[in-house]
Amino acid sequence: MESTAKYSLAGIIGKPFRLYAKAHKKYGAEWILLTIGAVIILAIVYMAIFPGSLAPFDPLDQEAGPQLSPPSAEHPLGTDNLQRDILSRVIHGSRTILGVAFFSALLSTIVGIPIGLISGYVGGVLDRVLSLIMDSIYSFPGLILAIAFAAMLGPGIINITLAVAVIYIPTYYRLVRGQTLSIKEEVYVEAARAIGAKRLTIMLRYIFPNIIATVVVIFSLNIADAIMTEAALSYIGLGLPASIPDWGMDLSMGKKFLPSGVWWMITFPGFMIMILALGFTLVGEGLSEILNPRLLEK
Amino acid sequence: MKRLLRYAVIRILLTIPMLFILLSLVFFVLRVMPGDPVKAMLGAHAPPEVIEQKRQELGLDKPMGVQYVEYIGQLARFDLGDSMIYKQRVIQPIREKLPATLELAVVGMLFTLLFGIPLGAFSASKRRSARDLGIRLYGNVVYCIPVYWMGLMLQLIFGIWLGWLPVAGRTGGRVFPSLFERTGFYVIDTIITGNYAALGNVLTHLLLPSITLGIVLSGVFVRLTRANMLDILKSDYIIAGRARGLPERKLVYSHALKNALIPILTMMGLQFALLLANAVLTETTFSWPGMARLLLERIYLRDYPTVQGVIVIFALTVSLISLMVDLIYALIDPRVKY
Amino acid sequence: MKKALLILLLVFLAVGMLFVGCKPKEEAAEAAPAEEVQDTLVYATTDKISDMDPANAYDFHTWELFRNINVGLLRYKPGTTELIPGLASEYSANDAGDEFTFKLREGLKFSDGTPFNAEAVKWSIERVMNIAGDPSWLVTDFVDSVEAVDEYTVRFNLQGPVGFFPALVATVPYFPVNPEIFPADRWINDPSELEGGQISGMGPYKVVSFKRDEEVILEANTEFYGNAPAINRIVIRYYADATTMRLALENNEVDLVYKDLNPSDKVDLIANDAYNNYEIASSYIRYLCFETSESYFKDKRLRQAVAAMIDRQPLIDKVFLGQMEPLYSMVPKGMSWHTDDFKTELGDGNIELAESLLEEAGYSADNPFEFELWYTPSHYGDTEVDMAEVLREQMEKSDLLDVTVKSAEWSTYIDNWDTKTMPSFLLGWYPDYMDPDNYTAAFAGTSGSAGMGIYFSDPDWDALFKKEQTSVDQNVRAEVFKEIQMAWTDEVPTAPIFQGKLYIFTQPNVKGVVVGTDMVLHYDTLYFE
Repeated sequence: MESTAKYSLAGIIGKPFRLYAKAHKKYGAEWILLTIGAVIILAIVYMAIFPGSLAPFDPLDQEAGPQLSPPSAEHPLGTDNLQRDILSRVIHGSRTILGVAFFSALLSTIVGIPIGLISGYVGGVLDRVLSLIMDSIYSFPGLILAIAFAAMLGPGIINITLAVAVIYIPTYYRLVRGQTLSIKEEVYVEAARAIGAKRLTIMLRYIFPNIIATVVVIFSLNIADAIMTEAALSYIGLGLPASIPDWGMDLSMGKKFLPSGVWWMITFPGFMIMILALGFTLVGEGLSEILNPRLLEK
Repeated sequence: MKRLLRYAVIRILLTIPMLFILLSLVFFVLRVMPGDPVKAMLGAHAPPEVIEQKRQELGLDKPMGVQYVEYIGQLARFDLGDSMIYKQRVIQPIREKLPATLELAVVGMLFTLLFGIPLGAFSASKRRSARDLGIRLYGNVVYCIPVYWMGLMLQLIFGIWLGWLPVAGRTGGRVFPSLFERTGFYVIDTIITGNYAALGNVLTHLLLPSITLGIVLSGVFVRLTRANMLDILKSDYIIAGRARGLPERKLVYSHALKNALIPILTMMGLQFALLLANAVLTETTFSWPGMARLLLERIYLRDYPTVQGVIVIFALTVSLISLMVDLIYALIDPRVKY
Repeated sequence: MKKALLILLLVFLAVGMLFVGCKPKEEAAEAAPAEEVQDTLVYATTDKISDMDPANAYDFHTWELFRNINVGLLRYKPGTTELIPGLASEYSANDAGDEFTFKLREGLKFSDGTPFNAEAVKWSIERVMNIAGDPSWLVTDFVDSVEAVDEYTVRFNLQGPVGFFPALVATVPYFPVNPEIFPADRWINDPSELEGGQISGMGPYKVVSFKRDEEVILEANTEFYGNAPAINRIVIRYYADATTMRLALENNEVDLVYKDLNPSDKVDLIANDAYNNYEIASSYIRYLCFETSESYFKDKRLRQAVAAMIDRQPLIDKVFLGQMEPLYSMVPKGMSWHTDDFKTELGDGNIELAESLLEEAGYSADNPFEFELWYTPSHYGDTEVDMAEVLREQMEKSDLLDVTVKSAEWSTYIDNWDTKTMPSFLLGWYPDYMDPDNYTAAFAGTSGSAGMGIYFSDPDWDALFKKEQTSVDQNVRAEVFKEIQMAWTDEVPTAPIFQGKLYIFTQPNVKGVVVGTDMVLHYDTLYFE
């Protein structure tokens, strides 16, 4: 267990790469999964950052091709009922979903981790009350809460990000609090207290660095989950207004054409959702196996 | 036995604060939402006096704190109140639709276990082999499949292209539920009333949605079974068994799997929450007249009491199931201390 | 263990297949317990019932139901806009046009045996006025009082002369209800709230079973004064989505489908000879509204510019696969005195006109006019999303326009009318009564307009509306409506987009579908071949 108090920045950044190289030797199977996941993520991130370089058409162009045409040379994924090119919509849609998922996960960590740290370290009534609240949210089906929040906030990118962020805060809270509870009993922490270190210092310098690894794993899995939640919200119709290309929404708009034999409007957006979520899941799972095989069994 | 009872009571008591918090959250979220239920009900042409009158009738003119306290008091008397939009008790649509969701959840869970457990066991029996990797990949992949996408794909393949299975609803157009409905669980009802043709209809309508749910959630059980099995396979008595020359297959499937099943049981309880969440998406895709769809409809209509009621029932159901599972677990496994 | 599980799986699948095999027999098996298939018609729709009470019901489907289980004093001859005697065998008006006297048919009873007379009519009308529900304005805006002159004669004393009062009397709020079972002071949702738990009317059918959002079962009403319907039993099945409904028709699970299928489903079914289809030129319209009092749209040039940019036929082709009719006036085709003024004055996709207006108002390519376009995603079906997108594209063909599309659910949408949050928004309209007044005064008369979030007010227009409402002279009314429609292209409180076409699809053996521009399906004309 790494319990040294000092961490250099270079050390922290270089760690993942060293681990990655080590893992290849030791954990063959997990390494494969991790790599597949990382490749997927990198590919889609590229798509999200530079959609213009890949997309043949403007995703909003309603004259890109014929109406409802199946995949062809000119439109590899076909066109939809407003004559838009589906490939372009899929490529641009990556930005929306990745953006919402990433930023909502980030928001969850920004809120959840400090609260968890403080709650775990300080304890007392604050801890009890917060635990109760967080446990209640955690044990309830997250999607349903997200629906309620999304319905309350109304459509819009920021609103959806908020709605999704709220339901993952308890995850980080519980994780960090649990780790804090166990670490704070360690000898070196007691020693620090003995020499008069302030609470904040202890939390930041001793406890926090030890939980980073776990947080990273959970972060990855959280993004995967957030992707699914965002897509689900759009599918139900609580997502974004029409002009922003979005996989979940395209899926729900496409399903009414199924009986007419139009299968391409739903197949590709759905596939992309799955692949993107899979990428983050594989990375998260792979990392967790490598870093700490017992972590996720709880 | 007395200790078990005490354990149960403590657990139940612990559930109450959780319900309370959830409910409060939902209560305030609903009332902060834009969109006025009274105007939606009465229409845009209604004169202001009529709107005011209706608002008073429904108690919406009182300050939120007062409304909240009244509602909590009402709940304490086990009264979910009346719907704001339709003239019905809140419990009425819930009573009608809860069996639909439960029926779907139960059959869905059955399929989950059917797919997940054998695969997990299979994967654990040869750790680190190609098939282990493949099955683990499967486990991860299916969890990432949006349940509504899987539903649509299955509808497309089996309903539209092949025409083998119906794609929506609990019964076909010409099967009138009022003929056989008793408990709300159509599988049971059709058997009780002896209406076997309807039973067939009901079962075929259940197939696609529950298989969809089953596949998507099986990933979790694959992983869980595999992990538990791996643990057990390392344990002493298995090694001893191997030393005694027991066939590998018997060791894996008779001994190890049976012991691995117990934690799986607990997992079922926990996964129920996940099942309900996915039920919302499944019910939408398959036009299943269940609680989740009811929730969506009533949020849309701003029917506060019904939305609150549904959330309460959901939370209660989740807690009850997890409590039951924990109790069974406590009973079965002598190692568990309570 | 693995073997056992595998076997279990196979058994389950086998059992499942067995029941799958049973599917084709399902319909015959189900209908068998009750009666022969030919005696029951299964009618599928995605509409919903609101309140089973004429005092508050204000939606298309519930009105249709009432027109089949109840009758007004006057009614439309099925398939036409001709008013014929209903519960009243004749009527007369005084010279001033503000008193209408109706002679009721004698000896009629409600379906539960309660006798029907003038008292019942008076009671019902006063009830509607008293309860002041959503559609009550159709009564309270015009009627002052009702008297039961004798047992079978009713007189309506109006607030002023009303030229189209007979058309009003044929609307659902004027339908007499059974005083013995309906509460006098509030409206009801479900028949279960009535005395005795069953609703009774005087129409060709009566409700025997009511399960909201699932099924409503009707049977022929033996107390009906007219001819008994050919089909004894109608089961209305409520579907949550159009795709399922289409598949139900194709699997022969339902006999008739009306309102509403997706455009692609309609295209497929029309092309398929296996089903009968009936195209109904309906008077259902869709249009763009502007908030004219406080938003940037108070400048009418901007309203004209935006209206001129709308390109109707391409929109219809894209979103509705060509199934609607472009509309160039708020008064739809088929209604008296309809014109195509928007076509001649503003045109379709008229970029030159729009840009000249915008430039006049001070906008340019560097300083485009930015505005919000709102829609509601499910109240009118999910084609709204596409419609808003297409409109946005059309608008942005000009560099001087920049559109932000926004949406709100229906309850928030109508809230937004009060808060004036939406500068421009899409809306739809089904007629309450078949008269151009219903399509114009409701949007541009001062009180009506405020109620719809448009807030248009012009005393000249109000005067014109008053004139046509109080006149019995058709020429006078014709003149007014010509003037109003033309003025509409100048002031543009709303911009008409299209007029709907509705379709009914049936199995080949269902005949007798008679639907006029009022879009009301009369179940009593249906029969099986």
